[in-house]
Amino acid sequence: MQDGSVNDLLQASKIQDWDPSAMLNNLSFLGQKIHQLQDLVYLIIGRKGQVLGRPDELLVQQQQLVTADLTSIIVQLISTAGSLLPSVKQTLSAATTSLGQCGEFGGVVFPSSAQGLNDGVQPQNAGGSKVSEPPNSVDITSNNGNEQSNHIIEEHELKDEEDAEEGENLLPGTYEILQLEKEEILAPHTHFCTICGKGFKRDANLRMHMRGHGDEYKTPGALAKPTKESSSEPTIIKRYSCPYAGCKRNKDHKKFQPLKTILCVKNHYKRTHCDKSYICSRCNTKKFSVIADLKTHEKHCGKDKWLCSCGTTFSRKDKLFGHITLFQGHTPAIPSDEIKAAPAGTSDGATNKVGSVNFNLSYVSSESEVQSSSMDIKGGIDDAVGYFSPLSFDTCNFGGFHEFPRPPFDDSESSFAFLLSRSCNYSQKSGEE
Amino acid sequence: MLSFQSSKNVLSLTEDLLVRIYELLAAESDRKSFRLVCREFRRIDSLTRRHLRVIRIEFLPILLRKYPRLQSLDLSACPRIDDGVVSLLLTRVGPGSNSPSLGHWAWGLKSLVLSRATGLRFSGLEMLTRACPCLESVDVSYCCGFGDREAAALSSAVGLRELNMDKCLQLTDVGLAKIAVGCSKLEKLSLKWCMEITDLGIDLLCKKCVDLKYLDVSYLKVTNESLHSIASLLKLEVLGLMACPLIDDVGLQFIERGCPSLKVIDVSRCEGVSSSGLIYVVRGHRNLLELNAGYCLSELSTALLHQMKNLNHLEVIRIDGARISETSFQVISANCKSLVEIGLSKCVGVTNMGIMRLVSACINLRVLNLTCCHSITDTAISAIAYSCRSLVCLKVESCNMITEKGLCQLGSFCLLLEEIDLTDCCGVNDKGLEYLSRCSELSCLKLGLCTNISNKGLSYIGSNCLKIHELDLYRCTGIGDDGLEALSNGCKKLRKLNLSYCNAVSDRGLAYIGRLEELSDLEMRALHKITGVGLEAVAVGCKKLADLDMKHCEKVGDSGFWALAYYSKNLRQINLSYCGISDMALCMVMGNLSRLQEAKLVHLSNSTVEGVELALRACCARIKKVKLFAPLRFMLSSEILEILHARGCIIRWD
Repeated sequence: MQDGSVNDLLQASKIQDWDPSAMLNNLSFLGQKIHQLQDLVYLIIGRKGQVLGRPDELLVQQQQLVTADLTSIIVQLISTAGSLLPSVKQTLSAATTSLGQCGEFGGVVFPSSAQGLNDGVQPQNAGGSKVSEPPNSVDITSNNGNEQSNHIIEEHELKDEEDAEEGENLLPGTYEILQLEKEEILAPHTHFCTICGKGFKRDANLRMHMRGHGDEYKTPGALAKPTKESSSEPTIIKRYSCPYAGCKRNKDHKKFQPLKTILCVKNHYKRTHCDKSYICSRCNTKKFSVIADLKTHEKHCGKDKWLCSCGTTFSRKDKLFGHITLFQGHTPAIPSDEIKAAPAGTSDGATNKVGSVNFNLSYVSSESEVQSSSMDIKGGIDDAVGYFSPLSFDTCNFGGFHEFPRPPFDDSESSFAFLLSRSCNYSQKSGEE
Repeated sequence: MLSFQSSKNVLSLTEDLLVRIYELLAAESDRKSFRLVCREFRRIDSLTRRHLRVIRIEFLPILLRKYPRLQSLDLSACPRIDDGVVSLLLTRVGPGSNSPSLGHWAWGLKSLVLSRATGLRFSGLEMLTRACPCLESVDVSYCCGFGDREAAALSSAVGLRELNMDKCLQLTDVGLAKIAVGCSKLEKLSLKWCMEITDLGIDLLCKKCVDLKYLDVSYLKVTNESLHSIASLLKLEVLGLMACPLIDDVGLQFIERGCPSLKVIDVSRCEGVSSSGLIYVVRGHRNLLELNAGYCLSELSTALLHQMKNLNHLEVIRIDGARISETSFQVISANCKSLVEIGLSKCVGVTNMGIMRLVSACINLRVLNLTCCHSITDTAISAIAYSCRSLVCLKVESCNMITEKGLCQLGSFCLLLEEIDLTDCCGVNDKGLEYLSRCSELSCLKLGLCTNISNKGLSYIGSNCLKIHELDLYRCTGIGDDGLEALSNGCKKLRKLNLSYCNAVSDRGLAYIGRLEELSDLEMRALHKITGVGLEAVAVGCKKLADLDMKHCEKVGDSGFWALAYYSKNLRQINLSYCGISDMALCMVMGNLSRLQEAKLVHLSNSTVEGVELALRACCARIKKVKLFAPLRFMLSSEILEILHARGCIIRWD
């Protein structure tokens, strides 16, 4: 381990602004800790023999103490070594960029269009030099003034961007960094005809277009996907940098994370550094800068209907049910539009029925001297008077029905009067079973 | 003087003694007589009564005040109950009144039956559950409009142990989740026909209500996923999976490893289940008591039979529709000795020899279903009668080879027989009925399509089987008025009678029917001889008549319908199709029968559109279901159709 870091040390020492004393400090701390660790392990070996011979409770306790000690030392060791690592890495990357001209790492070729060659490399060296300070201070001593405002954007970007390659650990310098200009990124077309200048979104479309310019573009070779030919050669991995200064995706950023494809660059740039001009027409709240994002959102907009009693919404029912399973006492909330719908649906039926039945009841209960309750019901009937009209036979005159002897159901009141004649009996006889 | 003294003696009994006497009265009619004796007895009745089934909603407030200690209230016969009624019932009477407050009745209530209470909505349910803190059991089955809001209202009854939500069609997983979270003590839950429920809901239920002992998910479109969740229920004893089309053998594999307390499983009519699935179930649950696998097996395979050898406690098995061999019967009888019920309806391969082998060891059989086992003859019936002395129910519909010999054996040995289905057994004759009448416990007798029986045979039944409460004489053309006379003299408990197409029956016969005071269901289609006189006799006599089907009784005139309108106040369903009822009488019937819920009014030869309209207006507040002649759809006013619709009435156009 020490050998490796010494190698790094040797390489890195060529850089002027690098501070070797801090590194040495760290390394000597590591060395100390390793010695401590060694002592402890010796101790444990000695103890183990005793324990095996005479298992004593006290000894067991001591052993536990030693183990705890050991664990804490290991933790310290790892954390120090870990904190050393980024500085080494950074210095390494700084070294490679500066060594690029010497031809040691042939892969570093900046696109000719990128003017960042001039204003990109120099500050990077400056940034890299500062990294050699103790690692915990790096974040605080950030170089650019606009960095702080960018922090917010970066956090948002990490959440938002699906193509954030966190798993990828390409060593700096093993790939070619390309940086497109803002205009290029925002241009609707990326492939231009060299003859007539017409722009296309896709290279395939350009190739199709080129057929019109002569027979030499009609050969299978000219029409084939250009990348396929080059696949046989050892390709240089291309990665992209965002032109926005201070952005984490910008190659000058000290924690630079490159973007994988041009599409990633475009989406990233639009999402993080452009206005969100597309507004969802359904919810009128969500804004997007990439049309595809809007379309994805619109597919699900308004479908967040799975609501828990705690207020959390879910786009999927199974997610809601999983949530309810987990949390004691949470229940699914019934959508509020149903609340409005349900009474509306029943208001014709149920409340009217209330009226009619109440009337019935009021009759019986008033007979049984429950005056106050009958009063209550009367109030209920008043509301439902309109609905009673179809029942009152006076209002509907059917031809030929006038001469009928008035039957007992003539109107509602006499209908119940008819009921009265036996209602008293029924209350005792068949009112119950 | 003597009567006075005796009554004084009775009155001298202390209250607790009276309560004890009252509690010994099992029959409702006896209790009624008891409470009609005097005020004191009535008071005992009202203090002791725990259960109440209300038939007429008008009397509900009085009854609830009269019986303050109710624990169980059954409102299934009052579909007109709605939110308004509930709020009225729960309204307390002001302090000035000396009557006890109305709300009291709800405090001790433990069980509430609201089956078919389609008028009720969530607000009413919420009031009820809030007012009844001790509620343990609720039945809201067949409340088709019930959904998640109602379920949410029910979920506030935290002590709920039993809940029946059959056919609450709007119920979804959300409502089920409400109940699962709210009523975690739930032990019994039935969700038949709640078609919106999916695996998610069942999964949540099984995670939240771990005390479930009874779960019925019949007819649901749940998959094996649900069975996976159900398998985790440690206390589950009864599992109903009837006609779940998406469940198959893989799902039953979960059940094999789970549900350690499982006693009863019903997988009948599950299309995806085969014998291998049942093998899993049987292998995992040696203590199974009941296995219902009707119409899901094509054959009782030997592998399954081999596993079934271990089911020594099995009491009930139904394998309707399967092919079964004679040797299978031997295996079953040799191993499942405690078998009480076996269902072999429509099984192929049921022979006399097979049945004889079965009953040779299964002597405890009480229920035997041999419907459509055509090759059964008297030999098998004799063997059954001889071996299974405690037989209670025998179904041999369409077993044509059964004759009086078999019935003779039944009448000699199976004296506990309560129910026998001899529909379409043309070998049954008067002599056979004479033998059968020795089974004096008989309560349900089905003789439909037995054309060889006559009044004489029926008179044996009438004189000996006094406990009969259901009799089916569908198309028994040999039956006439004399037979009904004998019947009415003996079978006073008759509640359900089918006389359809017994052409010989006339008004005189109906007059005898009118003597059956307990009669509630009467089907008498196409009795061409009867007139209004006969119907009047029935209406006047059969006070409890609730369901009357008189389709094609064309000669019945208005006088009969008038009588019906005046007397049959308990009528709930009526079929008047093809009857010569006039507009006037129709209005009378529909308007005056205040309990009427369902009417079939197709092809009324003597009534006009106006008459039907008026009749519908007269009953629109309470009718729940009506069948009308299809052309009327455009002739009736849209107003009445709207009103009916708004009140939740279902109209069937024919």
